[in-house]
Amino acid sequence: MKGLIDFLNILLPILYITTFIFYYVDFMKGGKVVANSKRLLLFLTLIFHLFYLLFRTLFFEHPPITNVFEIFTVLAFAIGFSYFILELVTDIRGTGLFIIIISILFQLISSFFIQDLVQVKDVLKSNLLGIHVFSALLGYSAITISAVYGFLYLILYKEIKLNKFGLVFNRLPNLEVLEVLSFYSAVIGFILLTFAIIIGIIWLPKAFPNFSYLDPKLIGTSMVWILYGTGIASKVFGKWRGKKVVTLSIIGFVLAIASTMLTNFLAQSFHSFY
Amino acid sequence: MNLSAISINHHSASVDLREALHLSEEEIAELVAKIKGNVFSEGLVISTCNRTEIYGFPVNDKLLLPDIQKILAEHKSVKNISAENFQTFHSFSAIEHLFRVATGIDSMLIGDNQIFKQVKDSFQLAEDLSFTGVISKRIFDAAIKTGKRAINETLISEGAVTVSYAAVQLIEKIFSNLSKKSALVIGAGETGEIAAKHLRDRGIGRLSITNRTIERAEKIGSSLNAKILPFSKFKEFIHDYDIIISATSAPELILSKTDIENAMKHRNYSAMVLMDIAVPRDIDPASKKIEYVFYHDIDSLNIIVEQNLAKRREEIPKVEKIITEELDALMNWYHSLEAGPTIKSLRDYFEAVRAEEISKNKNRFSDDDQEKLDIITKRIINKILHQPMVELKKLSDNDSGSNEMAARISILREIFGIDKTKNKEENKE
Repeated sequence: MKGLIDFLNILLPILYITTFIFYYVDFMKGGKVVANSKRLLLFLTLIFHLFYLLFRTLFFEHPPITNVFEIFTVLAFAIGFSYFILELVTDIRGTGLFIIIISILFQLISSFFIQDLVQVKDVLKSNLLGIHVFSALLGYSAITISAVYGFLYLILYKEIKLNKFGLVFNRLPNLEVLEVLSFYSAVIGFILLTFAIIIGIIWLPKAFPNFSYLDPKLIGTSMVWILYGTGIASKVFGKWRGKKVVTLSIIGFVLAIASTMLTNFLAQSFHSFY
Repeated sequence: MNLSAISINHHSASVDLREALHLSEEEIAELVAKIKGNVFSEGLVISTCNRTEIYGFPVNDKLLLPDIQKILAEHKSVKNISAENFQTFHSFSAIEHLFRVATGIDSMLIGDNQIFKQVKDSFQLAEDLSFTGVISKRIFDAAIKTGKRAINETLISEGAVTVSYAAVQLIEKIFSNLSKKSALVIGAGETGEIAAKHLRDRGIGRLSITNRTIERAEKIGSSLNAKILPFSKFKEFIHDYDIIISATSAPELILSKTDIENAMKHRNYSAMVLMDIAVPRDIDPASKKIEYVFYHDIDSLNIIVEQNLAKRREEIPKVEKIITEELDALMNWYHSLEAGPTIKSLRDYFEAVRAEEISKNKNRFSDDDQEKLDIITKRIINKILHQPMVELKKLSDNDSGSNEMAARISILREIFGIDKTKNKEENKE
């Protein structure tokens, strides 16, 4: 099984890149054959990815959530899967390549650096941690999608303002749809992250009795949470709209990813497991 | 095929002449009553704002196309018209022209999807006026099929190619659900009216119209179920509208940047689309600098129109390929209406029926009787076919190439289902 896991580890980035190429060709040129094939290809890629995650869990006897590179491959899957469901439900097809590219990035980093950990730290053997990671991952995939749609909103907004009626204008859904998709994804992400934070706070004193409230992970997470909370509240109460809300979503996403990277690789944090 | 056609259209005549020769349904009926039987045995008259065309099978060979032009000009009492203002077509080139018209590639606006419906209506009218026959019906059916294929198999009718439709297309790139939006159309001229119609067609939630002459606004308003705003007061209400389309003939700006800024503050910067399709412009172009204001004038809308027209032009070769395929199919059918091929097809058909029945019932006869059975059944077939064959040969000698002969043979083929049987066999292969 180890050989199969290694093979899938190499195959997955190739599959995601191939799927991306199909989405790209459809975006640029259109055509029924490519349009139908791209969704099938994404589905197959996700099936392969699911098996990869299952094989890893069975072979290493723990779910792939114990270090950042394992988490990245789960995140790549979660983003791809969320988009797949979104495409099926909304039938909005012109945005896939912008989201799949994020899956490619996470999967590439994971495939390059992932190691075979058989031994897991005792502190990570907890059910609460499992729920924490699961909700955080889903939350991250939601805010990733929110940021991508926010970014597309800004591009289309600018193109329409500047009378540029090219590919972006012709292929993307309208501004209102992009704004709604970005906002609802942010709301889902915010709820899931809030849940992950609550679980984390319950788990934290049990796992690390000497933790500090000034830990970089806690500060970073709090900032991201406040940012999304402010953005969502402003939109709900009608103070902010459009550009401001989507910009906040993009900043929130960048901050969340930066916070994860920093606390895992650079800063001294309880969250550095690798 | 002795089909003839004349056409006056945007390639050959000015808009004045095209307008002068335009025929209403009643006028077409009068013209058909005049020419049916005297000039053409069967035919078709198409008249739209951009073209008037007459197709028909002349009752005698002496008829010249200038005669038909003359009849049309006299019918509409139009003088100062010459032969150069008409395009003329004969035989298969007339059918090809009809196919080009039906697919919209001969239209002023390439791929104009209205022309297909207009051509279809013209066919229906010809049928109602009993101006059609076996051959012309088949040609019209082929034209409709060609038009449908062009629409379904190519992008010839895709995208907005008029300024007012481009405005609606652009609005739909900003708002997702027009039924929840409100629109104000300023100016009730032709352009404003078309824009208002497009908005209504796209399901706009609330539509208002304002115009200097209130009667004109009321006239359009009642047909489109739109609210009328007095022109002197409309500025007080612009914040209520998500979409403003302006198409007046005012020589100066009627909405300043300050007006728009105030409206935006009032609506808490909820997105507003301003479509200024007037020349000279009605809305201060500086309004585009305001956040969440999407200001577009006729130049920016023309960019969309030009892009879509270019895309449609790229589709012309695909449409021409469809036309060629359908013309070939029609020609094959027409050539099958000659006596020689029909005699052979008829013989083949009867022989096939005979052979099939023989093979089905082979076991009921002894080996000795098999040969006798073959001889007897062949003799029966020959006797049944003798009289039709004689008649067909006679027809071929007397009326070769005539419409009447083609029509008779067509009926004969239809009665025995020869073409259907042939198609089935081809499909099996």
